[in-house]
Amino acid sequence: MGSVNSVCAFATVSLVVDAASIQAYAELTDDFNPIHIDPVFAATTPMGGVIAHGTMSICLIWQMLQKNLGADVFKSPALDVRFLKPVREGELLTAGGSPNASAPGLFDVWVRGTDGSERIVGTLWLPANAPAALIQGADK
Amino acid sequence: MLKHAITYTDFQPGDVLGEAVTTFDGSMTHAWRRIFGKPAGGSDTEGAERASLAIILMMRAYCSVVTPRPPGNVHARQRFHLHGVPLPGESIRTVVSCSGKEIKRERRYVELRTEGSGNDGRPLFTGDMTIVWAR
Repeated sequence: MGSVNSVCAFATVSLVVDAASIQAYAELTDDFNPIHIDPVFAATTPMGGVIAHGTMSICLIWQMLQKNLGADVFKSPALDVRFLKPVREGELLTAGGSPNASAPGLFDVWVRGTDGSERIVGTLWLPANAPAALIQGADK
Repeated sequence: MLKHAITYTDFQPGDVLGEAVTTFDGSMTHAWRRIFGKPAGGSDTEGAERASLAIILMMRAYCSVVTPRPPGNVHARQRFHLHGVPLPGESIRTVVSCSGKEIKRERRYVELRTEGSGNDGRPLFTGDMTIVWAR
Protein backbone atom coordinates (compact mmCIF):
# COMPACT_ATOMS: atom_id res chain seq x y z
CA MET A 1 0.00 0.00 0.00
CA GLY A 2 1.06 3.63 -0.24
CA SER A 3 2.10 5.76 -3.12
CA VAL A 4 5.90 5.38 -3.25
CA ASN A 5 5.76 3.03 -6.22
CA SER A 6 2.78 4.63 -7.86
CA VAL A 7 2.82 6.13 -11.33
CA CYS A 8 0.24 7.64 -13.72
CA ALA A 9 -2.55 8.56 -11.30
CA PHE A 10 -6.07 7.67 -12.40
CA ALA A 11 -8.90 10.12 -12.90
CA THR A 12 -10.88 10.38 -9.69
CA VAL A 13 -14.58 9.87 -8.93
CA SER A 14 -16.40 11.73 -6.15
CA LEU A 15 -19.60 11.44 -4.15
CA VAL A 16 -21.17 13.57 -1.42
CA VAL A 17 -22.21 11.29 1.43
CA ASP A 18 -25.19 12.86 3.17
CA ALA A 19 -27.74 11.53 5.63
CA ALA A 20 -30.13 10.56 2.84
CA SER A 21 -27.54 8.51 0.98
CA ILE A 22 -26.42 6.79 4.19
CA GLN A 23 -30.04 5.90 4.97
CA ALA A 24 -30.58 4.66 1.41
CA TYR A 25 -27.46 2.54 1.61
CA ALA A 26 -28.61 1.09 4.95
CA GLU A 27 -31.87 0.07 3.29
CA LEU A 28 -30.07 -1.41 0.29
CA THR A 29 -27.76 -3.56 2.42
CA ASP A 30 -30.15 -4.15 5.34
CA ASP A 31 -27.37 -2.81 7.55
CA PHE A 32 -29.05 -0.64 10.15
CA ASN A 33 -26.15 -0.54 12.59
CA PRO A 34 -27.05 2.55 14.66
CA ILE A 35 -23.51 3.84 14.28
CA HIS A 36 -24.60 4.71 10.72
CA ILE A 37 -28.07 6.06 11.28
CA ASP A 38 -28.59 7.07 14.92
CA PRO A 39 -26.74 10.28 15.84
CA VAL A 40 -27.53 9.94 19.54
CA PHE A 41 -26.15 6.42 19.76
CA ALA A 42 -23.22 7.15 17.44
CA ALA A 43 -22.13 10.03 19.65
CA THR A 44 -21.61 7.58 22.51
CA THR A 45 -19.20 5.37 20.54
CA PRO A 46 -15.45 5.81 20.00
CA MET A 47 -16.35 7.17 16.54
CA GLY A 48 -18.03 10.15 18.21
CA GLY A 49 -20.80 10.46 15.67
CA VAL A 50 -22.49 8.97 12.63
CA ILE A 51 -20.20 7.34 10.08
CA ALA A 52 -20.97 6.03 6.62
CA HIS A 53 -20.90 2.32 5.77
CA GLY A 54 -17.40 1.31 4.73
CA THR A 55 -18.58 -0.58 1.68
CA MET A 56 -20.12 2.60 0.27
CA SER A 57 -16.57 3.68 -0.40
CA ILE A 58 -15.80 0.39 -2.12
CA CYS A 59 -18.63 1.11 -4.56
CA LEU A 60 -16.90 4.40 -5.33
CA ILE A 61 -13.61 2.56 -5.93
CA TRP A 62 -15.39 0.28 -8.42
CA GLN A 63 -16.70 3.34 -10.25
CA MET A 64 -13.22 4.86 -10.38
CA LEU A 65 -11.76 1.64 -11.76
CA GLN A 66 -14.51 1.39 -14.37
CA LYS A 67 -13.81 4.96 -15.46
CA ASN A 68 -10.10 4.36 -15.88
CA LEU A 69 -9.79 0.72 -16.90
CA GLY A 70 -13.14 -0.18 -18.43
CA ALA A 71 -15.38 -3.17 -17.85
CA ASP A 72 -12.61 -5.75 -18.23
CA VAL A 73 -11.33 -4.78 -14.79
CA PHE A 74 -14.25 -6.73 -13.31
CA LYS A 75 -12.99 -10.04 -14.69
CA SER A 76 -11.71 -11.61 -11.46
CA PRO A 77 -10.13 -8.67 -9.61
CA ALA A 78 -9.00 -9.13 -6.02
CA LEU A 79 -9.46 -6.08 -3.81
CA ASP A 80 -7.91 -5.65 -0.36
CA VAL A 81 -8.74 -2.46 1.53
CA ARG A 82 -8.40 -1.16 5.06
CA PHE A 83 -10.81 1.35 6.54
CA LEU A 84 -8.43 3.80 8.19
CA LYS A 85 -10.68 6.64 9.30
CA PRO A 86 -14.42 7.10 9.45
CA VAL A 87 -16.36 8.91 6.76
CA ARG A 88 -18.61 11.54 8.31
CA GLU A 89 -22.03 12.59 7.16
CA GLY A 90 -21.79 15.45 4.66
CA GLU A 91 -18.30 14.65 3.42
CA LEU A 92 -17.16 14.74 -0.16
CA LEU A 93 -15.56 11.37 -0.84
CA THR A 94 -13.06 10.99 -3.65
CA ALA A 95 -11.77 7.68 -4.98
CA GLY A 96 -8.54 7.39 -6.91
CA GLY A 97 -5.61 5.17 -7.58
CA SER A 98 -2.73 4.35 -9.84
CA PRO A 99 -0.77 1.41 -11.18
CA ASN A 100 1.83 0.16 -8.72
CA ALA A 101 5.19 -0.08 -10.46
CA SER A 102 6.36 -2.90 -8.23
CA ALA A 103 4.30 -5.56 -10.02
CA PRO A 104 2.28 -5.83 -13.23
CA GLY A 105 -1.43 -6.04 -12.55
CA LEU A 106 -1.12 -4.44 -9.12
CA PHE A 107 -2.84 -1.12 -8.43
CA ASP A 108 -2.99 1.17 -5.43
CA VAL A 109 -6.48 2.42 -4.62
CA TRP A 110 -7.67 4.95 -2.09
CA VAL A 111 -10.62 6.99 -0.91
CA ARG A 112 -10.10 10.41 0.64
CA GLY A 113 -12.42 12.66 2.59
CA THR A 114 -13.22 16.33 2.32
CA ASP A 115 -9.99 17.28 4.08
CA GLY A 116 -7.92 15.13 1.73
CA SER A 117 -6.99 12.56 4.36
CA GLU A 118 -7.10 8.88 3.47
CA ARG A 119 -10.15 6.97 4.65
CA ILE A 120 -9.49 3.78 2.72
CA VAL A 121 -6.26 2.51 1.26
CA GLY A 122 -5.62 -0.76 -0.44
CA THR A 123 -4.64 -2.67 -3.49
CA LEU A 124 -6.28 -4.31 -6.44
CA TRP A 125 -4.80 -7.33 -8.16
CA LEU A 126 -5.75 -8.35 -11.64
CA PRO A 127 -5.27 -11.94 -12.79
CA ALA A 128 -2.18 -12.74 -14.83
CA ASN A 129 -4.31 -13.63 -17.83
CA ALA A 130 -5.92 -10.17 -18.01
CA PRO A 131 -5.23 -8.19 -21.20
CA ALA A 132 -1.73 -6.70 -21.23
CA ALA A 133 -2.99 -3.14 -21.64
CA LEU A 134 -5.26 -3.59 -18.63
CA ILE A 135 -2.46 -4.98 -16.47
CA GLN A 136 -0.40 -1.92 -17.36
CA GLY A 137 -3.29 0.31 -16.30
CA ALA A 138 -3.99 1.72 -19.72
CA ASP A 139 -7.09 -0.04 -20.98
CA LYS A 140 -9.11 3.10 -21.62
CA MET B 1 -38.64 -14.10 22.39
CA LEU B 2 -35.73 -11.71 21.97
CA LYS B 3 -32.37 -13.28 21.28
CA HIS B 4 -29.31 -11.77 22.90
CA ALA B 5 -26.89 -10.10 20.55
CA ILE B 6 -24.08 -12.28 19.24
CA THR B 7 -20.92 -11.70 21.24
CA TYR B 8 -17.26 -12.26 20.45
CA THR B 9 -17.21 -15.43 22.51
CA ASP B 10 -20.03 -16.92 20.41
CA PHE B 11 -17.82 -17.09 17.31
CA GLN B 12 -15.96 -20.31 16.65
CA PRO B 13 -13.46 -20.25 13.77
CA GLY B 14 -14.40 -22.85 11.18
CA ASP B 15 -18.11 -22.68 11.89
CA VAL B 16 -20.50 -22.18 9.01
CA LEU B 17 -22.94 -19.58 10.34
CA GLY B 18 -25.59 -19.88 7.67
CA GLU B 19 -26.57 -18.80 4.22
CA ALA B 20 -28.77 -16.25 2.51
CA VAL B 21 -30.43 -16.40 -0.87
CA THR B 22 -31.34 -13.17 -2.67
CA THR B 23 -32.68 -12.60 -6.15
CA PHE B 24 -30.86 -9.85 -7.94
CA ASP B 25 -33.76 -7.81 -9.22
CA GLY B 26 -34.39 -4.37 -10.65
CA SER B 27 -35.24 -2.87 -7.29
CA MET B 28 -31.65 -3.28 -6.14
CA THR B 29 -30.34 -1.58 -9.25
CA HIS B 30 -32.83 1.24 -8.82
CA ALA B 31 -31.85 1.73 -5.17
CA TRP B 32 -28.14 1.72 -6.04
CA ARG B 33 -28.67 4.34 -8.75
CA ARG B 34 -30.50 6.59 -6.27
CA ILE B 35 -27.23 6.81 -4.36
CA PHE B 36 -24.52 6.57 -6.99
CA GLY B 37 -26.27 7.75 -10.12
CA LYS B 38 -27.15 6.01 -13.33
CA PRO B 39 -24.16 4.77 -15.31
CA ALA B 40 -23.44 7.02 -18.25
CA GLY B 41 -22.08 5.91 -21.57
CA GLY B 42 -23.94 2.70 -22.30
CA SER B 43 -23.99 -0.87 -21.11
CA ASP B 44 -20.22 -1.11 -20.74
CA THR B 45 -20.51 1.07 -17.65
CA GLU B 46 -22.65 -1.50 -15.85
CA GLY B 47 -19.58 -3.32 -14.55
CA ALA B 48 -19.08 -1.01 -11.61
CA GLU B 49 -22.77 -1.16 -10.80
CA ARG B 50 -22.87 -4.94 -10.77
CA ALA B 51 -19.57 -5.26 -8.92
CA SER B 52 -21.06 -2.92 -6.33
CA LEU B 53 -24.18 -5.04 -6.13
CA ALA B 54 -21.97 -8.07 -5.46
CA ILE B 55 -20.57 -6.16 -2.46
CA ILE B 56 -24.11 -5.27 -1.40
CA LEU B 57 -25.22 -8.90 -1.68
CA MET B 58 -22.30 -9.82 0.55
CA MET B 59 -23.41 -7.26 3.13
CA ARG B 60 -27.02 -8.39 2.93
CA ALA B 61 -25.97 -11.97 3.59
CA TYR B 62 -23.83 -10.91 6.54
CA CYS B 63 -26.67 -8.86 7.99
CA SER B 64 -29.17 -11.66 7.43
CA VAL B 65 -27.06 -14.49 8.83
CA VAL B 66 -25.07 -12.84 11.61
CA THR B 67 -27.91 -11.46 13.67
CA PRO B 68 -28.69 -9.99 16.13
CA ARG B 69 -25.48 -8.00 16.22
CA PRO B 70 -24.45 -5.66 19.02
CA PRO B 71 -24.64 -2.00 18.06
CA GLY B 72 -21.37 -0.29 17.30
CA ASN B 73 -19.45 -2.92 15.30
CA VAL B 74 -16.89 -1.38 12.96
CA HIS B 75 -15.75 -2.73 9.59
CA ALA B 76 -11.94 -2.62 9.66
CA ARG B 77 -10.78 -4.45 6.54
CA GLN B 78 -12.36 -6.00 3.46
CA ARG B 79 -10.84 -8.41 1.01
CA PHE B 80 -13.04 -9.18 -1.94
CA HIS B 81 -12.30 -11.44 -4.89
CA LEU B 82 -14.87 -10.95 -7.61
CA HIS B 83 -15.18 -14.06 -9.76
CA GLY B 84 -18.17 -12.88 -11.79
CA VAL B 85 -20.81 -10.16 -11.64
CA PRO B 86 -24.42 -11.01 -10.74
CA LEU B 87 -26.88 -11.04 -13.60
CA PRO B 88 -30.42 -9.62 -13.52
CA GLY B 89 -32.88 -12.19 -12.25
CA GLU B 90 -30.14 -14.41 -10.89
CA SER B 91 -30.61 -16.09 -7.54
CA ILE B 92 -27.53 -15.46 -5.41
CA ARG B 93 -26.65 -17.86 -2.59
CA THR B 94 -24.13 -16.60 -0.06
CA VAL B 95 -22.63 -18.80 2.64
CA VAL B 96 -21.21 -17.04 5.70
CA SER B 97 -18.63 -18.64 7.94
CA CYS B 98 -16.29 -17.60 10.73
CA SER B 99 -12.69 -17.89 9.60
CA GLY B 100 -10.98 -16.51 12.67
CA LYS B 101 -10.97 -14.18 15.64
CA GLU B 102 -8.40 -12.56 17.88
CA ILE B 103 -8.02 -9.83 20.47
CA LYS B 104 -5.44 -7.16 19.70
CA ARG B 105 -4.88 -4.01 21.73
CA GLU B 106 -8.06 -4.77 23.69
CA ARG B 107 -10.13 -4.85 20.49
CA ARG B 108 -12.11 -7.92 19.49
CA TYR B 109 -11.48 -8.76 15.82
CA VAL B 110 -13.77 -11.23 14.04
CA GLU B 111 -13.00 -12.62 10.58
CA LEU B 112 -15.97 -13.64 8.47
CA ARG B 113 -15.86 -15.29 5.06
CA THR B 114 -18.66 -14.88 2.55
CA GLU B 115 -18.86 -17.05 -0.55
CA GLY B 116 -21.41 -16.04 -3.16
CA SER B 117 -22.61 -18.13 -6.07
CA GLY B 118 -25.19 -17.65 -8.77
CA ASN B 119 -27.30 -19.91 -10.89
CA ASP B 120 -25.99 -23.48 -11.17
CA GLY B 121 -23.37 -22.68 -8.55
CA ARG B 122 -21.57 -20.15 -10.75
CA PRO B 123 -18.95 -18.59 -8.43
CA LEU B 124 -19.46 -14.86 -7.95
CA PHE B 125 -17.35 -13.71 -5.06
CA THR B 126 -15.30 -14.57 -2.03
CA GLY B 127 -15.21 -11.92 0.67
CA ASP B 128 -13.16 -11.78 3.85
CA MET B 129 -14.33 -9.11 6.24
CA THR B 130 -12.59 -8.06 9.43
CA ILE B 131 -14.91 -6.54 11.98
CA VAL B 132 -14.13 -4.96 15.32
CA TRP B 133 -16.85 -6.58 17.40
CA ALA B 134 -18.46 -4.26 19.88
CA ARG B 135 -19.03 -6.78 22.71
